Amino acid sequence: MSSDLSGSLALLQEPFMQRALFGGLITGVLGGWVGSLAVLRQLSFFAEALGQASLLGISFALLMSLSPSLLLLPFALGFAVLLRLLLKRSSLSADALLSLMCSSALALSVVLLSSLPGARLSLQQLLFGDILGISWSDLVPMLLLLIITLTYGVISRRAQILISVDPLLARSRGVAVETHRMALLGLLALVVAVSIKAVGVLLISGFVVIPACTARLLSRSFTAYVLLASGIGALSAVLGLLGSAVLNQPSGPMVVLMQAFLFGLTFALAGLLAQRWAGAAATAASADHGG
Amino acid sequence: MNPPLLAVRDLQVRRGEALVIDGVSFELEAGCDTALIGPNGAGKSTLVQALLGLLPHHGGVIELLGHPLSRSGRLPAAIRDQVAYLPQKLQLDGRFPLAVEEFVRLGCSPCCNQRTAVPAVLDRLQVRHLRRRLLSELSGGELQRVLLAFCTVHPRRLLVFDEPRTGLDPQAAEQFHELLQQLRREQGLTIMQITHDLQMVRRSCDWVLCLNRRLCCQGPPQQTLSRDELERLFGGDFVLYEHNHHHFR
Repeated sequence: MSSDLSGSLALLQEPFMQRALFGGLITGVLGGWVGSLAVLRQLSFFAEALGQASLLGISFALLMSLSPSLLLLPFALGFAVLLRLLLKRSSLSADALLSLMCSSALALSVVLLSSLPGARLSLQQLLFGDILGISWSDLVPMLLLLIITLTYGVISRRAQILISVDPLLARSRGVAVETHRMALLGLLALVVAVSIKAVGVLLISGFVVIPACTARLLSRSFTAYVLLASGIGALSAVLGLLGSAVLNQPSGPMVVLMQAFLFGLTFALAGLLAQRWAGAAATAASADHGG
Repeated sequence: MNPPLLAVRDLQVRRGEALVIDGVSFELEAGCDTALIGPNGAGKSTLVQALLGLLPHHGGVIELLGHPLSRSGRLPAAIRDQVAYLPQKLQLDGRFPLAVEEFVRLGCSPCCNQRTAVPAVLDRLQVRHLRRRLLSELSGGELQRVLLAFCTVHPRRLLVFDEPRTGLDPQAAEQFHELLQQLRREQGLTIMQITHDLQMVRRSCDWVLCLNRRLCCQGPPQQTLSRDELERLFGGDFVLYEHNHHHFR
């Protein structure tokens, strides 16, 4: 057992593992940040639809003998814009329309992939991700996206909160609601596209949503919520990858399992924390009234 | 004579193909508390949203604080900062992690000193003890006071409310009303509110606009809230039930 552990830890010295950890850290922060807003705006199922659309993007890329990484980002972005337009113009409810688009994209991907002459990507890699196969060239767009996302997050903080409270209230305070909605959907599409390699198509929505759910249980302010979601995303990505190396399990499911474990642990402790906060709030309130 | 805070002439607003506001003209004087009344579907919310540039208008002229609004309704920031609006019902998710103080801070304009303005407004509206609570944990009355703090953390000239007492019990509604009148006296605010509470309108509003797609009548409450005018506005089977808010004090 100890030799297994030392052997696995020796993997940390390997460049491919270091790249994977770096990539996991970036996608974890990205997923946590975008996911925190996606959960507030009830866009969780949107992330699922984008994940399955990304599989369609990969299928098109393979069919046209292009690099999937090249086509994936513009494809996911285009799909997000199409979904937004359909949601605005169609009389269907959001869940029905997303289900329709999701299933159609998945069905078309399977047909396209099965018509390819030779499997150039294993189905397991596509469905569950392979972060260990990440290259330095994959890390560059991830890093760029992280910088763009965090910069936009800081600049648009007020707008994002007000839109989440009430879009009409936000507009009355001069917030360009439609522009920020599209920007968030665009970022969500790009984050899903760059994270597909790490966690795969099937687990992408969980990867985006679970850290935000965990952070929600612990947060008493919006700022804490977004920072916690990003931190939990990054922590679970790193712990999941280490677990994957130690237990010799696929990386994507291990990362999502780690997220689910942290959520379960937090959920179990949330009652205790809530009691403590309620006590602290009552003390602060009585001190304020007294003073 | 001071120019009106808001001047509206022959306003038309469409929702899709339907003409929802047709030929509405009125003026709001500074410091006045104006009630906008009318039956459901009369276009009250559409009218106030058009006045504030949140909806485009399709005919007529709107001048807000002396500034003519374009048809698309875009307001310059300097004008917008002097006006606050509260929609009828916030679409607030019950699980939203947003603390009271954090929310009120968002009402500040860029020139406002948050360090002094936020504690001052929390004190003025007696919600300082709630500052660390989440918005989703507040009662209806507490939430309305916090929303009022959000609206007035920066000095405004015009407050526009869309049914501010909806969902409040009579005691909380009365407290909110008194707070609003206190702010009006202290800060010289002009108020425009959509309401169905005709007793409150009779007691404290200076001017009433009766809307049912067109402006049916306007004037002081004694004149506009007569049985004849109300029956004309709400229909022949209109019945007014009276109750006394002061009972709850």
